[in-house]
Amino acid sequence: MSEAKERSMLAGLVFAALPLAALPQPYAGKTATIVVGYKPGGGYDATARLLARHLPKHIPGKPTMIVQNMPGANSLIAANHMYNVAKPDGLTIGTFNRNLPIAQLTKVDGVKFDMTKFAWIGSAASESTILAIRTDLPYRTFDELRKSGKQVVIGATGPGANTYDFPLLLKELLGVNIKIVSGYSSSADIMLAIERKEVDGRAGSLSSITPFIDRKLVRPLIRARASGPGSEDLPVDESLAPNPRAKAIMALRSAPDVIGRPYVMPPQTPDEMVKIMREAFAKVVKDTELVAEAKKAKMELEFVHGDKAQKVIREVLDQPKDVVDEFSKYIKFGE
Amino acid sequence: MLEALFEGLVLVLQWKALVFMLLGIGLGFWVGLLPGLGGATTLALMLPFIYTMQPVEAFAFLLGMHAVVATTGDITSVLFGVPGEGTTAATILDGHAMAKKGEAGRALGAALASSLVGAIVGAFALAAAIPVVRPLVLSFGSPELFMLAIVGLAFIASLSSQGGRGMLRGFLAGGLGLLLATVGQDPQAGVARYSLGTLYLWQGLDLVPVLVGIFAIPEVIDLVVRGTSIAGTLPSGRLSGALEGVKDTFRHFWLTIRCSLIGTFIGIMPGMGGAVAQWMAYAHATQSARNAEERKGFGAGDVRGVLGPGAANNSKEGGSLIPTIAFGVPGSTAMAILLGGFFLLGLVPGPDMLTRHLPVTFSMVWTIVIANIITVLACFVFLNRLARLTTVRGQLLTPVILVLVFIGSYTSNNHYGDIVVTLLFGGIGYLMVLGGWPRAPFVLGLVLGKIAENYLYISVARYEAAWLTRPVVMVLLALAIVVIVYPLFQSRRRGAHA
Amino acid sequence: MHNKASLSLALLIMLASGYGVITAWSWPWKAALFPLVIGIPVFCLAAAEALWALFGKRPADGRASDFQLSRDLPEKETRRRTAIAIGWMLGFFAGIVLVGFPLAVALFVFLYLRLHGRESWTLSLTFTAVLWGIFYALFDRLLHLPFPAGWLSSWFGLA
Repeated sequence: MSEAKERSMLAGLVFAALPLAALPQPYAGKTATIVVGYKPGGGYDATARLLARHLPKHIPGKPTMIVQNMPGANSLIAANHMYNVAKPDGLTIGTFNRNLPIAQLTKVDGVKFDMTKFAWIGSAASESTILAIRTDLPYRTFDELRKSGKQVVIGATGPGANTYDFPLLLKELLGVNIKIVSGYSSSADIMLAIERKEVDGRAGSLSSITPFIDRKLVRPLIRARASGPGSEDLPVDESLAPNPRAKAIMALRSAPDVIGRPYVMPPQTPDEMVKIMREAFAKVVKDTELVAEAKKAKMELEFVHGDKAQKVIREVLDQPKDVVDEFSKYIKFGE
Repeated sequence: MLEALFEGLVLVLQWKALVFMLLGIGLGFWVGLLPGLGGATTLALMLPFIYTMQPVEAFAFLLGMHAVVATTGDITSVLFGVPGEGTTAATILDGHAMAKKGEAGRALGAALASSLVGAIVGAFALAAAIPVVRPLVLSFGSPELFMLAIVGLAFIASLSSQGGRGMLRGFLAGGLGLLLATVGQDPQAGVARYSLGTLYLWQGLDLVPVLVGIFAIPEVIDLVVRGTSIAGTLPSGRLSGALEGVKDTFRHFWLTIRCSLIGTFIGIMPGMGGAVAQWMAYAHATQSARNAEERKGFGAGDVRGVLGPGAANNSKEGGSLIPTIAFGVPGSTAMAILLGGFFLLGLVPGPDMLTRHLPVTFSMVWTIVIANIITVLACFVFLNRLARLTTVRGQLLTPVILVLVFIGSYTSNNHYGDIVVTLLFGGIGYLMVLGGWPRAPFVLGLVLGKIAENYLYISVARYEAAWLTRPVVMVLLALAIVVIVYPLFQSRRRGAHA
Repeated sequence: MHNKASLSLALLIMLASGYGVITAWSWPWKAALFPLVIGIPVFCLAAAEALWALFGKRPADGRASDFQLSRDLPEKETRRRTAIAIGWMLGFFAGIVLVGFPLAVALFVFLYLRLHGRESWTLSLTFTAVLWGIFYALFDRLLHLPFPAGWLSSWFGLA
């Protein structure tokens, strides 16, 4: 190669490399914080810590990532903090109760945020809600249960939790003969009550009930809109709705399930930082190490893009007043 | 079953598992000691590290850490009157009182020795009960658990002072505790009860800020007022040694055993919560006073008030393993995290853990026992030196204690509301002490209130009125009546003798 | 002192349970049952205690199964020192709110040692430094506890 050509090639390479070198690495040398609206030990916290361990690899600049817990009021406190106090510099990420859009919709006292204005990264998992009953009961399918007309006792933790809300709608809107016994301190206590034959079944997230399905203690009967491994073939509550209003109400309850583990940044966070985070999230859920760890912890992460999350939020918040009013009759914001 | 017992021991004694256990113990020592380093939070932080360990090592680490927290938490309770953990508050009543009389060494010795006895007795009771534990837990449904809470509440009568006025105040304190337990969103109608317009109170009052306030703050005020060291002006200048405390444990051996059994039983019952065991044990210990004079001594430095809770809060750890691993129902946040750890290591909680995987279960029980033995022995080496902290100038210790108090309460919810609660209940605790009101019934009411309410609703919703006639329920009701009447009967008997 | 404290407590409880009963009245019965069943008797008991404290003949001898505050000093001095103790605690809390937890810890420890304890400069400074160091390393660096910025720094736009 002639010298001139060499030089121009070199020049060409340098020019090509310049933009790369000039690429801003806004996260280099920084510490990012994930604020969790719950105490350590729960599902939201475990997900956040898992992500915090593996996300830095996928963010240019490899920032340090830490988790801070800000529990209280079913994560309303954390959400308010993310909306009003946290700085939109891209270094604070928040995760909170997926049902907060419902809290906003039903105008719960204490809501100081607007879900649509958060800078949405997306969701790290979707939730699949099912109802399961004890295997020694004679009903094998939801239809059988419904047709029999006999009463089943379903244990629940309290209004606002899917253990309570899902069966409540089945009872009120689909007319299934369900008696809800509420007050158990955790869904694990309900499982124990099932073993004791104190109650006949419970509703809840597929991931938490699966071990008991495998153990053949309970069998799943019906699910909500979002499906998960093992629940795809179950009938969906909405499709059995007797009228459009009932269907809208059930859909409203299920909507947040799609954004099972919401992750946001404060409003007005610069777009490029949100973009970086979204890409990082999308990559990290496929990260082999994370997948292995998640599997052991019986978690399954999948990335739901921020745009889709925002679509779901708008769907929830744009419901007509009469639907909201009837919805509020049944569903209260809680756990 | 004996082979499983032996196999379990062998599993634990592999040197790698022992090393990790020692690491866990080292960590757990500080976690229990320092308020603010909560057992549950630290466990959650440790979880990622166990991914790379073998199952037995990981268990040894997690359990080693967890088993020790209750033991060392007693140390801070005795020395400074600050509960190192939510489960060690009862030791403050008599333990710290002893420290103020210059008997810190003895109190520490008693707390540690009884913790050890509690852990061992609890472990053996557990091992012995394994064949019946599943039917036992399964037969305790919500009605029975409600009645058990009532029995616990009945202990309020024992914890009250003597005489009509004493009983009145005891019940008032208990009633206040019960009322405060209703703060928060109720699980029947979803009403945010007594939240006073704040988000902080939505989920109710957290136990730790209240305990720290009601017990530690009056102690701090008293320390500042006295202007001396914790131990005050000692007559001879010598502190009584830890060995004395150990001897006490054996002098009152049967009491220690009984309290260990109480702790184990409460631990086995899912849903009773960790704080209950120590207070029921304390109440039981006060019942062992033989006359009115002795009864007044409780709260002023009777070593039995240390032995009871010391034993119970360790024995309950072994007991609470049962609902966690045999049923997958964790009895406390710490257990919930441990459960997460078990999943990580491929263990499936369920009846198999008591049959096929019995050696693993036993290895966990052994871990708790051995971890406690090691801790207690290690502590004894410098127990007397620790006791000397009570002779340090009050002015130096007060800021340290206050920082511990504030941070210990703040880490409950990472919210300034925690500190406000502590200060508020500090004021109430101070008034109670000034007025001669007993604080123990208040704690009992606070701790048992939610449990009683929830189980009552579940029982009525599920069984309507039929639950009242279940056999165990009636037995427990009789027990509750005995517990209430016994102190009255005792005082009459003492009156007759006097 | 005994009596006054008992009276104040009884009145406080009457207030609290009274408020509790009145608020609970409007709730759905399931939420209201427990608060009412407990609140009403507590109110009555508290009233009884208040009356007893006011008109009881015998000096309140209800020695609790609980520790007794030391009575070595004359009452006036005790009250003064108690007020000082309470003042320091409230001051510490005010500090936390105004300048944030870590700084407040350092300030409080130093000021307490120096002003109240009258310790030497060296001792106060070293003690504060060591304590603050441990506190910071443990609760900020290791546990990453969220410590909100103090009000002062946000008023003056520092943080």
